[in-house]
Order: sequence, then structure tokens, then C-alpha cells
Amino acid sequence: MESESPIETKKGKSRTPKKAKESILKQKSPAEFFAENKNIAGFDNPGKCLYTTVRELVENALDSAESISELPVVDITIPNGCCREEIVKSKFNSMIGLVDRERVDEELYDDYETAKAREKRLAKEARALEMQAKNAALGKKVKEHVVPKSVKGRGEASFYRVTCKDNGRGMPHDDIPNMFGRDDLFNIHFNTCLHARYAVLSGTKYGLKQTRGKFGLGAKMALIWSKMSTGLPIEISSSMKGENYISFCRLDIDIHRNIPHIHLHEKRDNNDRWHGAEIQVVIEGNWTTYRSKILHYMRQMAVITPYAQFLFKFVTDTPDKNVTIKFARRTDVMPPVPVETKHHPSSVDILLIKRLIAETSKQTLLQFLQHEFVNIGKSLAERLIGEMGPEFSPKMAVKSLTDQQIVRIHQLFRQAKFDDPSGDCLSPAGEYNLRLGIIKELHPDMVATYSGSAQIFEGHPFIVEAGVSVGGKDVKQGLNIFRFANRIPLLFEQGGDVVTRTALKRITWNNYKINQTQDKIGVFVSIVSTKVPFKGTGKEYIGDDISEIASAVKSAIQQCCIQLKLKILKKMQAREQQERKRNLSKYIPDATNAVYDVLKEMAKLHASKKKRYEEGDADILQKVSDQLITEEALKEKLTQHVEKVDYEMALEYATQSGESEEPREDIYLESLDAKSNFFDFHGPIFVFRLFL
Amino acid sequence: MSDKKKRRRADSDSDSESQPFKHLLKSDDHILRILKSVASSSSSTSKSLTLADLSLSSTCREVSDLSLSSVQSAIETLVLQLTHQILSGQGFSFTVPSRSASNQLYVPELDRIVLKDKSTVRPFSHISSVRKTTITAKILSLIHQLCLKNIHVTKRDLFYTDVKLFQDQIQSDAVLDDVSCMLGCTRSSLNVIAAEKGVVVGRLIFSDNGDMIDCTKMGMGGKAIPPNIDRVGDMQSDALFILLVEKDAAYMRLAEDRFYNRFPCIIVTAKGQPDVATRLFLRKMKTELKLPVLALVDSDPYGLKILSVYGCGSKNMSYDSANLTTPDIKWLGIRPSDLDKYKIPEQCRLPMTEQDIKTGKDLLEEDFVKKNPGWVEELNLMVKTKQKAEIQALSSFGFQYLSDVYLPLKLQQQDWL
Repeated sequence: MESESPIETKKGKSRTPKKAKESILKQKSPAEFFAENKNIAGFDNPGKCLYTTVRELVENALDSAESISELPVVDITIPNGCCREEIVKSKFNSMIGLVDRERVDEELYDDYETAKAREKRLAKEARALEMQAKNAALGKKVKEHVVPKSVKGRGEASFYRVTCKDNGRGMPHDDIPNMFGRDDLFNIHFNTCLHARYAVLSGTKYGLKQTRGKFGLGAKMALIWSKMSTGLPIEISSSMKGENYISFCRLDIDIHRNIPHIHLHEKRDNNDRWHGAEIQVVIEGNWTTYRSKILHYMRQMAVITPYAQFLFKFVTDTPDKNVTIKFARRTDVMPPVPVETKHHPSSVDILLIKRLIAETSKQTLLQFLQHEFVNIGKSLAERLIGEMGPEFSPKMAVKSLTDQQIVRIHQLFRQAKFDDPSGDCLSPAGEYNLRLGIIKELHPDMVATYSGSAQIFEGHPFIVEAGVSVGGKDVKQGLNIFRFANRIPLLFEQGGDVVTRTALKRITWNNYKINQTQDKIGVFVSIVSTKVPFKGTGKEYIGDDISEIASAVKSAIQQCCIQLKLKILKKMQAREQQERKRNLSKYIPDATNAVYDVLKEMAKLHASKKKRYEEGDADILQKVSDQLITEEALKEKLTQHVEKVDYEMALEYATQSGESEEPREDIYLESLDAKSNFFDFHGPIFVFRLFL
Repeated sequence: MSDKKKRRRADSDSDSESQPFKHLLKSDDHILRILKSVASSSSSTSKSLTLADLSLSSTCREVSDLSLSSVQSAIETLVLQLTHQILSGQGFSFTVPSRSASNQLYVPELDRIVLKDKSTVRPFSHISSVRKTTITAKILSLIHQLCLKNIHVTKRDLFYTDVKLFQDQIQSDAVLDDVSCMLGCTRSSLNVIAAEKGVVVGRLIFSDNGDMIDCTKMGMGGKAIPPNIDRVGDMQSDALFILLVEKDAAYMRLAEDRFYNRFPCIIVTAKGQPDVATRLFLRKMKTELKLPVLALVDSDPYGLKILSVYGCGSKNMSYDSANLTTPDIKWLGIRPSDLDKYKIPEQCRLPMTEQDIKTGKDLLEEDFVKKNPGWVEELNLMVKTKQKAEIQALSSFGFQYLSDVYLPLKLQQQDWL
């Protein structure tokens, strides 16, 4: 199934006349780009396709809800509970109206079992049964024998209907077909992806903004994948705030011509006053191989987005394989929506300058410099123009700049000194939320968080936040690393990542009284930036070669560790208090035994007059010989002493530490009456809530 | 005819190419004459200073060899004190001289590290010291038994008497050093010895427990250095110098090539960090035979560190540095400057790790390095070039280059610091 559509496109191409072919060479269609770069987009294999589809839909839903400052509620269903949805081949065929064909020539198929192979398999199964019987006879408790899986051929793929419902902005009824089917940004994105190293594009044309998602494409890759792997139409339900109807649309995208193909477009009743969007796609995928990745993704998303509520459902025919997880909301504080900002002069390349010139509404060079970039004021712009050379003047028309002149501007941008961009345009998760997220999902014994200040890398501001937890449930021993970039979890290619390497190699956990192999350590690092410097084809990790980021990550983790160390020391002290007496008493027999052994030998020497001792000493030795001083007596004396010391120290500890009290923690209780009337004003560092 | 000539020339060419600097070598007789003059001058050194000769501002702690009975008495006195303390209901505690780095002092006049007089109290009734205190009591009682029975045991034996308490040999070994410090005697006086580690080969005859040993007739491996020095005596030798080798591999090469027959010498190695027995043995050789000691170590910070342990003592055992150190050891090679001087190829040099460089820089701060300007210069060069090389790097010119060319040339040029 997977390979079908690329072949189709090839055929189509070869039939087109020569002229058309040339234009195809110039501009690749999204489908072609996708087919060639599936691995980059995260569609390398069926399992990952399902994973990437889920994450694109989830991130799209979060963006939508946050854009209207609504606490997100996201429901993901694979498939929608009412019917069995791990669609088998026959069902899929009937869905697309294809008649099931019986296999006539069995040997033609890849999963055909030859006589020899069958013999082998039967022998193996018989052996297994025999073993089982033997074990049963011996009364051994063995794990339920796994039924040998039926050999799965490549032709047999699973299909999944993935539904994602949110409470976001929704879409205007009439725009829905175009929003999904036709998108001007589509080609721009793909072309820029191909030509420039400008993969992380914001969704906006002029500025630059911290965005979720690695390609800035929203859920479009998922839509293309649905089209390519199953060809089934997409179903969209949407309603905007205040609308009394739900727009329902079933459509199909002609991805080559980039136009929507509407099957059904109607308004339905909206009795629950729901607003948001529900998108349903049917794709080829594999749940078994990527089950844990998808669940990890949801869990980590819940950590970094504690103000959202997620409901994840996976439903099959076999009820024991069903998964339903609800990630409850833990806070109602939402990070502010990231603010769009202009480019910083030291971060732009020639191509981008050209684009900005093409798109600017400003006439003169002076205005252009002053208004299209941050940190260039009027006087600085004038100085810059003066520095560019005699052929430049403030009044010259910006659109008339030649290529060489643009190169000169770029050169100057690289060399000149500008103020650092401020981090105000960023929207970090926030220490409070990160902490609650960690507590909510891991239930650790201890947690510490730290939020660094904004720093700069290549003209882009970034903020590193970190959390370190010890203990908790569903946490394995040793380091558990959770990486987030622009508030989405990174799950793959952990080895080369700056966070992994820092935690493993540059943090001396021992210094903080944390045992790197024995303790259950959770390390959470969230990096937000207007441009996250991803590495690798899949953009799944942040390289370790950027010293600014590496040192920020290290210091953030260290700050957490310092906080934890204090807590751990306190705990150890308390434990020491409790166990002091036991630990001291443990050594009493050994110590007295050693002393008494020597005394006994001395007493013998004394008795046999082999050696002379002084008056007081001789007295003691005599008592030892006479059994007046025994090992028991020494033990008793030492025990008394230990008890006395323990009592004194306990008293001292109590007076010193006072009444010990665990620090209180804020908790969030979701209000039952959700319809309270208020309005939130979001600033970069605060939320002002006005109750009406 | 001409063909043959050419070939011969080619042969000799390739020979000198594969063993560079061989042409600089003079005859062995010439070198021997040089060595004899060096040996005769070194034998006339004056008597060495002791701590008592100096009037140091801070008091220092030094131990001495004690007889078995005085060790026994010292332990008994201590135990009686403990008994008094326990019976009076105060628990008990030891006062142990501190062997930490802050309690060490390098005395330039003596050219060795000595222990200052700081002590720490080790009470039984404190959670952080209860373990060590108990182990100390146990070791004391074990030593007392050794004294009564007049036998020697190894450190390993000692550890195995109560594995449950000691947990790991490092702990019992450390307390053993504490005990000898506390009682003011050398570790050998406690009748506890370490397993044999060092070996010696060459022009040396001595008696081990009454048996005469001729170290030229000990085969290739040489004679293991006896763990307790008190049974060694009657040293005789016609050697001109003592060659101290860091590594077993270089030692094997020299022993197999019978280097000591070409240039009469005694070759010693402790196979890495020296143990007490080897250090005692070297000192005994040096003081009784009055021979110059030349050291052949790796060109890395650890080579110099090992050299310094022989020369000035280790911090861990500084309380007995008077008996353990051998003054006036010369650094023969491989020195950092030799890497370029002998054109050791790049592929045989290793880049120094960050840890190496740090150790090198730390060494530069140490007094025993600073007192020798030549060493400082070499070490600076090492830290600057960030390159190190093992003795084996010389094998790139042939396995026997070390004994055939390098060492003879070094001796001829008296190239040591």
C-alpha cells in the first residue's frame, strides 16, 4: 500500500508533455516532496507514521486552544470507540469499495508458507508444547506461552482511524475546504525547505515566533500521509465560539493540483455549544511497534502541558488490548501566547533579506532597516547606511537594491554589533507549570525546578528551564531524561542530544548526594527559542556542539541539583537521627571483643608473672583474671554510653531544627462550575483575570 | 662487485636510519670510564641529615623501628587506657595523627615529605567514626596477637580475619597505617607485610633470611624483593649505578638483553607505583652501596609522580619517609625533551588527556618538583606540548633500541637531571 502512490505519480509524470515536465522540475508538489522526504517528516515506517500523525494532531489542537487562551481539552481516539477500528484489510477494501479478491496463486505472495517452512514451524510448536507439558508436570509456574504470531507479510498493513477533538478556535464554515485543501503557504514552505536551511518556519510571513512543531506545517503532513496511504477522505467538524451550528465537511485533497475535493459540506446542530475542531483521518500505521512511544509522548506532553486535559483512547476488538488514559488538568495557569517578533539583524541570511525586501511595505532603505528588524533604531539605521558605502543612502528605494548591495548589507549585519534580542517574545513552560507537570505525572519523592534567564544564540533568544526529580512511580533506576523543545517532547535520537550528554557526562551526581545508578532520577529540560537548532534528519535532537546552550543546560540542571542536595541532606540527617542508636550499637560487640581479647592476653601474662605492670593497671588485670571485669561488663558500659549520647544528640537536634514541617505545596482544584464569567489579559509575565 | 658495495651501503644506511643516533655512540669502554668517575664521586657523599638536625618551626611526627616487645607494650598501654575510659562510662576514642594532605610538609633540606603533628579524635560514639574506631580496635588486637606469637602476616591475611567488619581491604590497610602512626613505629615493626611486588636483577649479591642470592643468576625474571627488609643483609656489588625502571616491560627487555653485563648495574622495578618493600630495598642499596640511582620512567605526569614517591615519599606514608625515601634520584628518561631529541615518531606519542594536563599542572605546584629547575623545565615542556610517551615508544626503532642505543647514549652524555 505504502509504495503505491509514488509509483502512480511517476507514471503520471512520464505521460505529461515535455513542457509540463520542466515546470514540475521547477516546483515540486507537496506530495512529491513528501514522498522523497518521508523520513525527514517522521514517516519512515508504519509505526512512526501513526506516532507522527498523533503528535501533529495533538500539537495542532493545543495551538488552536492556546490561540484563544482557552485551557486545552484534547481527545485523541484511535479509533472512535463505537466500532472496531484497527481496520483489517477486508474492511479497508470495503471502505474504499474494492471487492475482496481470493488468492488464487498462493505462492505468489510474500507470506506464503512453503512446505519446508511449515514442517519447521510445526516441529517448533510441538517442541514448545512438549516443554510446556513438562513444566506443567513438574509444577513449575511458567508464563503463559505466547501463541506464535502469524507471519505478517509486508502487504498486510494495519489501518487506523485517528480522531482528534479540541476546544480551540475552530474554523469559519466557508473557509474549511480551503484551509485543508488549498494553502498558499504550502508551496512556500516546501520551497524554502528545499532551498534554504530554513526548516523551522513560523506560520507567519514576516516575523518570527516560537512555535510548536518542527516544520511549522501544522497537521498537514498527517493529511498528506492519509491521502497517500489510504486515499480515504478527511472528516472535519468545527464550530467557532458563539456559533449555533457545527460545520461538517468530508473532503479529499488533490495534492498534485493542491485543490480540495468536497464530498459533503453541511451545517449541523450544535446543542452543547461546543467550539473547536474535530479532525478524523484514516492512515496506514502500526500500533504494536510504536505503542510505547505514543504513550510516552502523551505522558511527556502532559508533563510539559499540565494546564491541558488529554484523553487518549485506543480501542480494538480485543478488550484487553484497549488503552484509555486520562491526563487530568493540574493547573489553570497557561503560559502566554508567544509574541511575534521581527528578525534580529545578526540572525538573517541573504535569502531572508531578499524575502523581507520583497514583502515589505516600506519604501526607503532607512525605513526598511528601522521597521523590519528588532534592535535597529533610527540613529543606528543611519549609521549602518553610512557604513555600507557611498552607493547607499537612507532615501534610496529599498526594492531597487541590487544583489551585490544586499550581500553588502548581509555582511554588515554579520559584523556589526547589535543589542541582544530580548526573551520577551518567548513563552517558556514556566517553573510553576513544569513542577506541577512533573509532580502530576511522576509523583516523585523530591523535585526541584529552575528557570534560566534568556540567552542568545546566533541572534535568536532562548530560555532553558530544568527540573530534576528523585523517586516516583513508573520511573526506572538511573537517569530518565525528558527533553522538550518549544514545549513539545523529543523522543528520538537521545544519544547525541545536548541534554542527555550533559546529564550523563558533565553532572557529577555524587556531589549532590544522588546515586546515578541506584536512584530513580528524572531530568527534565525544556528549551524554547524562536529557532531551535535541531540536528539530524528527523530534527529529533539538539546538538551538543553549541556551547551557549550546553552551558545553559548544565547550569540549569546544576541549580536543580543544588536545591535537591539540601533536601536530601536534611532527609539523611533525619534518617541518621532515627538510626543512630542502631548503627552505633551494631559495633559494640566487635569493639568490646577486640579490647577484651587484648586484656585477656595481658591478664594471662600478668598471672604468669611474665610481664610486670604498674599498680593501677595490675589492678585491672587482676579483676579481669577474677572475672570481675568481663566482656559483658564492657558491653554494658558501652551500651549505656551510646544511649546517653543518642539521647543528648536527639535533644540537640530537636532544639536546633524546631518543629519539622514539610513545605506546603499549592494544589489546583478544578472548579465545578466551569462557566464562571471572567476575562484573561495575557502579558508576557503575568495573567490578569477580570471577573465580570 | 660494485653491486655488492652498493648493497652494503644501503644496508648500513637503513641500519642507521632504523636506529638513529647510533653513530654518536662511543665505545663501551669509553662510557664505562665516564660511569666509573660518576660512581666514585657519588660514593663520597656526606652523611644525610635527619629531622632532629633541623630546627623546624612546626613540630613533625616521625616514626622509628620499634622492637616487637615495645610495640606490644604500646598496644597494652593504649588498651588499658581504653578500658579505663569504657568503665568510667565515657565510651572510648582514639587520637589518630592526621594523614591528610593539609598535614603534610615538604622539607627541602631533607628533600622529602614529613608529617606535621595535627591529630584527629576518633570517638566510638559518633556515627561518622564508629566504624573506623571499631576497625582500629580490631587491628590493634590482631597486632597484639602477632607480637605474642612473633610471626609475620600479610595485609591480605589481616583483612581475611574479619571480612565482615573490614568490608574491603582498602579500609583495613588504611587503618593499619593509622595504627603504625599512632604507635609511632614503622609498618614493618607491626610484623605486617605486603605481598611481593618489586623485582631486582643485575650485579647484586645479598642474603635473604640467611641464603645468599646472586641476582645475575636469577634467570630472566630476576629476584623478587623480599617483603620484610629486616631479613635482607650483606649487600655486595660491583655495579656502577642502579637503574630504576617504572615498567615491567622495559625491565624485561633490559633483563633479557643482560644490560647489566654490558654496563655493570642493578636493575629494579616495582611495576608501577612502588610498594613499601621496594622503597626500603632501594634505600638500603643506595645507603650501603653508595651508588647513583638513575630512573627510567614514562614521559607523563605519572612517571614523574612515581619518581617522586621513590625520592620524597608518598603523602599516605609520610610518617615514615625517613626510612622509605631514597635521596638524589636522577631523572634519566624518557623526558619530554627526549621526544624531539630522539625524533620519536608522532604515531608513538599520545595526546595528554585533560586529567593528565591537570595532574601535570598540579605537579608543577609541588615543592619537590620546584626544587629542581631542570624538572620544572621538562614538566613545563610536557604541559605545553600536551604530548606524552611511554618507554615503549622507543620500540618504534626496534625492540632493542632501548638497550642498544638509547640508554648507552644517555649514560655517555651523562644526560640526567
